[in-house]
Parts: sequence; C-alpha cells; structure tokens
Amino acid sequence: MRAFEYREPDNLEEVLSLLHDHGEDAKIIAGGTALVIMLNQRLIMPSYLISLRKLAGLNSVDSADGALQLGALVTHREMETSPVIRDQIPVLAETFRQVATLRIRNMATVGGTLAHADPSQDSPVTLMALDARVGLSSSGGSREVPLDEFFTDYYETVLQPDELLTHVQVPLPKPHTGSIYLKFLPKTEDDYATVGVAASVEIEPSSQLCRECRIVLGGVAPTPLRVKEAEALLSGQKLAPELLHKAASVVQEHTDPISDSRGAADYKREMAGVCVRRALEQAWQRALTESP
Amino acid sequence: MGRIEGPAKVTGEAKYTADVLLPGMIWGKVLRSPLPHAKIVSIDTQEAEQMPGILAVLTAKDLPDLLTGRLVYDMPVLAIDRVRFIGEKVAVVAAEDPDMAEDALASIDVEYEEMPAVFDAHEAMKSEAPLLHPDYRSYAHAPQKFFSDIPNVHSHVTWELGDIDKGFALAKRVFEHTFNTPAVHQGYIEPHASVVAIDPDGRVNVWISNKMPVRARELLADVIEIPEERIVVHLSQIGADFGGKGSLMDAPLCYHLAKRTGRPVKMVMTYTEELMAGNPRHPTSIFLRTGVTEEGQIVARQAKVVFNSGAYAAFKPVPFVNIPGAKDAAGVYGTPHIRIDAYSVYANCVPSGHFRAPGDLQVNFAVESSMDMIAEDLGLDRLEFRKQNFLKDGDWVPGGPQLEEVRVAETLAAAVKASSWNQPKSQPNRGLGLAVSHRLIGTGEANTQLTLKEDGTIQVLTPVPEVGTGAHTILQQIVAETLFLPLDQVRVETASEIFKTDSGSGASRVTYVGGQVVQQAAGELMKLILAAGAKGLGCAENEVVFEGGRVVHSESEGSLSLAEVAKLGGDGKSALRVKKSLNLSEGPPITTFTAQVVELEVDPETGQIRLLDVVTAHDVGTIINPLGHQGQIEGGLLQGVGFGLIEELRMEDGQVSTLNLGDYKLPNIRDIPPLTTVLVEEELGPAPFHGKAIGESSITPTGAAIANAVYDAVGVRFHDLPITAEKVYWALQQHSGGEG
Amino acid sequence: MTHTIRLNVNGKEHTVEVPSRRLLIDCLRYDLGLTGTKEGCSVGVCGACTVLMDGKPISSCLALALFADGKEIVTVEGLAREGRLDRVQQAFIDYGGLQCGICTPGMVVTAKALLDENPDPTVDEIKEWMMGNLCRCTGYYKIIESIQGATALEPGGE
Repeated sequence: MRAFEYREPDNLEEVLSLLHDHGEDAKIIAGGTALVIMLNQRLIMPSYLISLRKLAGLNSVDSADGALQLGALVTHREMETSPVIRDQIPVLAETFRQVATLRIRNMATVGGTLAHADPSQDSPVTLMALDARVGLSSSGGSREVPLDEFFTDYYETVLQPDELLTHVQVPLPKPHTGSIYLKFLPKTEDDYATVGVAASVEIEPSSQLCRECRIVLGGVAPTPLRVKEAEALLSGQKLAPELLHKAASVVQEHTDPISDSRGAADYKREMAGVCVRRALEQAWQRALTESP
Repeated sequence: MGRIEGPAKVTGEAKYTADVLLPGMIWGKVLRSPLPHAKIVSIDTQEAEQMPGILAVLTAKDLPDLLTGRLVYDMPVLAIDRVRFIGEKVAVVAAEDPDMAEDALASIDVEYEEMPAVFDAHEAMKSEAPLLHPDYRSYAHAPQKFFSDIPNVHSHVTWELGDIDKGFALAKRVFEHTFNTPAVHQGYIEPHASVVAIDPDGRVNVWISNKMPVRARELLADVIEIPEERIVVHLSQIGADFGGKGSLMDAPLCYHLAKRTGRPVKMVMTYTEELMAGNPRHPTSIFLRTGVTEEGQIVARQAKVVFNSGAYAAFKPVPFVNIPGAKDAAGVYGTPHIRIDAYSVYANCVPSGHFRAPGDLQVNFAVESSMDMIAEDLGLDRLEFRKQNFLKDGDWVPGGPQLEEVRVAETLAAAVKASSWNQPKSQPNRGLGLAVSHRLIGTGEANTQLTLKEDGTIQVLTPVPEVGTGAHTILQQIVAETLFLPLDQVRVETASEIFKTDSGSGASRVTYVGGQVVQQAAGELMKLILAAGAKGLGCAENEVVFEGGRVVHSESEGSLSLAEVAKLGGDGKSALRVKKSLNLSEGPPITTFTAQVVELEVDPETGQIRLLDVVTAHDVGTIINPLGHQGQIEGGLLQGVGFGLIEELRMEDGQVSTLNLGDYKLPNIRDIPPLTTVLVEEELGPAPFHGKAIGESSITPTGAAIANAVYDAVGVRFHDLPITAEKVYWALQQHSGGEG
Repeated sequence: MTHTIRLNVNGKEHTVEVPSRRLLIDCLRYDLGLTGTKEGCSVGVCGACTVLMDGKPISSCLALALFADGKEIVTVEGLAREGRLDRVQQAFIDYGGLQCGICTPGMVVTAKALLDENPDPTVDEIKEWMMGNLCRCTGYYKIIESIQGATALEPGGE
C-alpha cells in the first residue's frame, strides 16, 4: 500500500478536528477489515489514516427510552454475543452472527460497516428494517439521519468528508412483531449474500392482520433496498400465499442488481422474489408465535 | 501413526520458502501485462529506477533471450517482444521491501500495440485465428511426433485400440455427446515463492516451492546458463502442490536480480497473481461418439478431447506435452474399438498446467454422464448397463497394459451397498448418481541413498520433498519394515544434490516407484550389514541373522548392535551405504478403481443443491499408512466436490474475474458432505507390501456422480461444470415450460 | 513515517520500529522473525495468518502492526510450553489433521481459542468457529476429529 501518516487520537474532538483539517485526504480506520484490503490493492490512497483504536466512549451497547444505542466501535462479535441484544432484538444478533467469519467479526465494527456502504453486507439491511438512525458528528455539530436516507450509491453515503459516524440508535421492536434476516448463499457457506432479506412483520394479535411491515434487501441494488410499495401491500392483510407472491413481484420490479461472482443479475432478481416470500413467511410465523 | 514432520508443522518450526530469511535479503515484484495479445512497443523504467529503495529494474533486454518450460521451452522469463496473456510478466523490480517494489511498479510505463486475440480453444483451431506461436516447431524439446497442421495446436496425441470404423459398423445405435469444463485453480494455500542467493564463489543457492527439485535444477541451469554443479536447490516444506508446483515460476527472475544487485532476492506471488497467472487445470471440451450393439454392448468409442493450453505449453511436463487423462475416454469399460484424439491448443489466456489427475476429471465427467444418458435412451438400468460393459481381466486399456486382477465390479458393488441406492425413492427433488473411474499406477524414476550411521540409525536420503502427501512417512515405514526396525530408528531426509535426475512427487508414483527403490536399497543394505557383522563376529555370512535389532551369530549367540556394526564399516573405513536408482517406464498390469455414489437434494425454487450423502469406494492393496491413506481420499473427494459444484476460474476475453479467494471460493469446513469410505482390500498391490496408489483417485468421479444425481433428482442434464444453483434454477424454469 | 510500538508476543515484550503501512503479519514474520504465521490469500479469507490478539482470533494480514501496540499477541510459536505441545497440537498430529501443514498454524491457534472458550463443542460449533480456516489437503474431516480428540486430552502446553 502507499505510505500515509497515521494518527490515533484518544478523544472525539481531536478526531473531528483532524477530519476537518484533512477531509478528503484522510480516511477513518476502525476494525480495518475492509479498509486494509482497499489500501493493499491501492483502490484508495489517503495521505492520512485516522485510527479510532484509542477512542473511548464509542464501544458500548446501552438501552434507554425504548431504544438501543450502539456505539460505532462495537464489534460484530460483541453484537453477536451481547446478552442485551440477544434478549431485546434477537434478529440483530442473528444477523451479525452471519457476517463473514469469526476473525472478521472480532475486528469489524458496527459503524465501519455502515460507513463502508457495500450493499451486499448483512447488518445494514437488518438495521434498516428496524428503522435505525445513525448519529453523525463533525467539528461543526451533530445530526441524526434515518438509515434509509443514509446510503446514496455503491460505497457512498451522506457522510461528509469531515464527519464521523458515532452511534446507531435502534428502536426496540413493538410487541407482536416477528423479524428475520435471511441470507441466501447458494454456493458456499462463507460468502457475501447473493441476496439478503430482512423482513419484519407487526401483527394485530386478535385479528392476526398485519399492522406494519418492513422489507429490506441487500445485494440487489446500489444500496440496501427498502421497498415501501411492497410493505404497503401487506398492511391490513392476512398472511396468504398469493399476497406474498404479489409482494415478491413488486420487490423484484424495484431491484437493480449487478452480475458478479455471487450470481448474474437476472438470477439475483429471481431470488429476490423467492427470498422475500420466504422471509415474510418466516417473520409472520415468528410474530404469530411470539409470546405476548 | 502420525506423520514424521508433524511436530515441526504444528509448532510453526517447519520452514516454507517464504519463511527463508537471509541477511541483506531484498524483494522482487513483477509488472504484468493488462492485455491478452499485444506487441511491446516500449518500456520506460527510468522513473522506477530512481525511486527510494529500488536496487534494480529489469526487462527482457537485460536478460538472455532464453525460453523455458517443464518440457517444451516456449515461455520467456520476461515477455520479449509481445505479451500473450493478461498477467504475463513484463518487468521486474528489486527493492528493500515489497511496498517500495510496488511503488516502483506503478511508475513503469509500457506502450503496447494490441493484436487480435483468441480465447476459446475451438476458435483458436480455425484457419482465421491469430497464431500465438508461429515458430512453435522450432522450440527446444517440442515433440515432433505430435505436431499438427491445425492452427495453434502444438500437440496432437492419438490412442487407438482395434479399428474404430469396424467398431461403428458393428453398432446398432450411435450416440454423440459434448461436455465442457472450466479452468480451476489447485487452491494450495501457499502461493509460489522462490529465493536465490549467490555465494561469493559463484554457487547459486535456490529455495523454491517445487516438488521436483532435481528436475528444477536441470531446468534452471538451462535458463540461467549456469552449470548444474554450481546450483544448489535447498528444500523447504511445500504448502501443497496438487500438480501445480513443478515449474520454476519466478526462480530465474530471482537469479537475475540477485546477480544484478549482489543481494539475496525473494519473490512471493500474491494470491491474486496465482489466480491470474498460476497454472490451473486445462479448460476442456470433450466430444464422445459411442457405438452400442442391440444387446447394450459398447463396441466403439471415439473421443475428441480439446485442452485449452492457454498462452504457453510450458507448464506441461509429460513428453508429448499434452494431457494424459485424455486416454481414459473409454472409461472403465472393455470397449474393443477405440480412437481418442487429444489436442492441446494455444489461446490468449492464463497458461494451463497439471492439477491432480490431470485430464481424468474432465474426461470422466463426460464418460460417466454419457453412460447414464445412453442407458436411459436404451431403457437399461444405469447400474446394469455399466456392469455388462466393465473391463475384465485380459482387456487392454488405451495407453496402458493388458490388465490383470480387475476389480471394478467389486468396487462398484461395495459403493452401492454402502449407499441408499437400492432403497425406494422417498422424496421429490432427491436423487442418486454414481460414477466409476480408474487410474493406472504411476511410473517414472526414483532414487535413494541409504546409510547406516554411527549411532545405529538408518538415514534415508530422497530427492522427493514432502509436499504434504505423507511421502516421507511412507518411505520411512517401508524401510523400517524391510529392516525389522522400529520407526524412530529410520530418518528420512530430502537431498537433491547427490542425485542426477528424478521424477519427483506426483502421478501416483511415489509409493510404487519410490517405495520399491527404498525397499530394494534396504534389502541390499541389510546384506552389507550382515556381511560386516559376520566379519566383526569372526564367522561366516551364512551363520548370522538379524534379530531384535542386532546381528546375531546363531551358534555362539554373540551379537553386535547396529551402532557397533556401523563403526566396523564396510572395509573398516567407510560407512555402509547403498545408492540406488530405479527407472520404471512401464507400470504393472494393474489399475485401481474408484466408485462413488452421491445422494443429493435440489431446492426447486432456488436451484440450490444440498449433498446428503457421499460414498467413495476404493480398490486398494495393503495400506501402508491408514491415516495418510484416508487423508488423501478425503482431501481429494472435497476437491472433486469443488470441481462439480463450486469452483470456476471465471474468465472473460482472457481476463480472470475471480482474483482473490473471496471470489474464487474454495470449499470450507461447513461445505463438507457426510462421507462414507469403503476400502475393498486384498493383498495384491504391486507396490511394496502389495500397496497400490491412492493420491489421484477420489477426486475423479465426483463431478459425474453429482451430475448424474441431479438428473435423477430433477430431470435436468448438465453438460458443463460447475453445476451451480443458478444453472439448475434456469434449467428447471425451461424444463417446466417457464412455470414458476 | 515510522512509529515505535510495544507488543507482547507469546509472553515476551518487543519494541519495534515500523512504518505506518506495515501489516501485523509482516511485523511478526520479518521484524520479529516469527515465520510460523503464514500468508495465504492476503484478504482475510483463508485464515493461514490467524493470531490471537488479547485472546481473540484475528487476521494478521488485515491488521496494521500499529493495531498491536500495547496488545498481547499469541502466535503458533507460543502454544507449546517448555517443549510440551499444547493438546490441540498433539491431537492434530495424532488424528491426521494436517498434511502439507501450511494451514496448520492458523488452524491450531484458532482451535485453541475455541477450546479456551468452549471446552466441549459440538460438531456444528466446531464448524461455525473454524469456518474461516481453509484447508485444501485434508477435506476437513480429520480436522474436526482432531479438535474433538483434543478435548479428551489434558490441556498440556500451559
């Protein structure tokens, strides 16, 4: 990789000040599992690397006001094993558990994954289906952005060159909600998803009709794809195969996949339909069997 | 028993080539061509030469115009006036560290003039195709006998039995089928590495990831123009080979950089370079024409096997510079009339090489798939159709001997018995498939030197390095058994300088040829030991025996330990030693059979295949090392699964797109199917202690067994590999007339 | 730009000067001469480069050497103690869990971390933990048997 200056601030102000000073010429490094590969291949050649290794205060999981607050530096492995997460939002722990391999999960962070913005990644898909919001800070102030407004294109987000993603806020699921993350791996158990689907269904317990749902896909568009049109189809309806087929068709129309080693574009489109159906079915079942 | 180099490997002490650390060592890195076929107009290295930490920058103009290769010399060390594939080496730099070398590569400016390129082997054989090697007939060691007038075909080999026209005249039905398989990488986890250090007295020290070090020295001597006696090949551990580590790779470049800079030079390929410019299995197209009688007897088999050699033939070691597996195009069947034509064709892609059972997998996929297809067409049971056509004692096989002790029926019966073959079909979208293959026992040359050391141990010197197959352990066991000694009294070491030539490790030959040479040498050493012992005990040679590790005088019961005999020496001065060489160009009249049954399930909504059960049955002789033997079976089987379902070195217009192990997927521990191994044992093998061969067996029939099982499950027939979920999905869509 | 880092490797303190772009794997292999850790794929997939950082398996090919400053690193060279192999190492020999050996350092380091956290894993737990360690020689069957075999041995090494 090309040479760079390395900085390791131990407080947020210094990080933000460095970002302000060097902006486009600097890259933040947290776990490094994606960034180091890009540096090795000379896909990026920053003059400054700002490491968050020594930054305290961004690596905890807190529960407050009906939401979980995840520090940006919480690792995948911590998300997978955290008793708080497994108890309060199990689909999140299940999702992080399916990412890559143990070694990657020991280093890769919640915030790093979001900032990397590869639409084939797993956690952004589930986080978006949970209506997560990200907190961004710069030396000029802070703002919160809903996750479904955060991603703009392959590897691109609304993050400004002087901004740092500091935390992710995830509202606790409402009662009678079932959620699932389905990772479709047709070739081998260790891979990026050919298609990933996070589905969440909230039902009205007595009528068993769907109140609200979320359908988000990974690997089928330049960003994680939320299909509100399909979600609207399910609203107020009872679980039925024809309904799921219709929702799946609507989803397919919104996909815009590329061909790569995980599958050709037309196959991904077909599988988006199949996986949405299966995910919705499973999420609905979870909602029905959830204890009140 | 575990293998002898186990402790060194589990502690990290075992040294591989990339682990060699020498004082003052510098790093080499190459610049590679981005174009598949182009003239080199100019190369500007001026900026690179000035960069910090750069000690040398070389292009072809700095080197002698010599070509190299494992048999035919058709590949330059650095591209001379043109590049023939994306990834071909164009320039090399030496730097204080790899990062500095990479910095320099980025500033080398190459001007190319693109030429028309051809990527598909069949296209390359057409009259209008660009010629990659117009002068190929003049290349050193190019085998004249196998030249062809077909464009870009550098080797055409034919195998025949009987009279093919007569055969087809006897046939009632004739079937034609075509199959295709892609390039796949050997997937050894250790990328190629080499280190060269030149001593002040001019001795060239070489460390190289190469399983044929004696041959490597020969080839290196030719391409760097240094006599063999001045080259020392130091043997490191090899991080697996599977046929792919028999060439010099970057060693000549390391030499030239070492010569230029006066420093030891190391070059290690990145895995991206391995995938772009290694020497993968040949992409192959197999055309079969089969003639069958009314009674279902296969009477004629014609095959045209086309191997895509890529830009160079330099990675093929066999004298006819073609792929030997083509000769199995009649499979395990006693077909009286056979004609096989194998073509090795140049095209502008990564040069192909050897990968475990080269050619066998591709051809077996075709043969065993077509057996199922023909059986179905004739309304015959696929098991019975095979049985009535099996090879029998006294049958000839193409490129092989007249067979004895044929046990194909027993091997298949054993596989079937251990599977669910005869159970009623339980569920939809589930299927069973089988395939059978065979492999002749390898021939070649093997050398050894056995010495009785002063401490009473036996030192076994072999030029065969340990590539991971357990060869050293096998040799140790054979010597120990022959001499009635405990294992820890026999030590195997690799040494290449004392041997002139050797075939090295591979081709399923080590246990057979290597085993025989050490067994014979051990027998001769025992004679020397008894003679020296008798002399030392003051009696006649026929009055001593070897018992309990000592030379014992049967009458007086006086005895000598081996250490004491060693001190006596042969004539009182030199050590007791036997040096032996064995060159077997003809194998025994024996072949080894493998039969596999695969049970799988297809998810019709996605096309995804789930392997439910795999049975692999092997016709074996005595197994010398059961743990090692089983390890070879299991490792080979998973490579067969990879070939059938997962692996493909994807290329488009000569550009490999799977350029790291994140894209080129190797099977992992969660991908393994439930596996049952059945060993059909009989003490009949021709290797020492009646052993046979196992190294290249289990990998071969898996692809066809999977393809046959998929057809059984969902009625879709695949003529190419790998059988991915995507392919199955679309085939099912078509099959059902487009219904979801 | 170079930095001075202090890392504890296999119980021994080291002070090394490294350029910022130095990878941990190169620091271990070339600055410290510990060539037991191997480089295979260079993209964190094959696991040959696995070391433990503060007890957790990581890909040393994806870590800057600077990340190890102030940390405890365990490499394959640190598993045996006073010439006695760790039970995982012994089991890999006894059960045929290795052939060419290039993946073995990464395998035994990762397997040791597994047994430290989960002394009696099921086959599925073994597979999930070890999924990131590729082997091309064995087909994995004997690696699973080796790890199961290790659970029956005395801890050994330490």
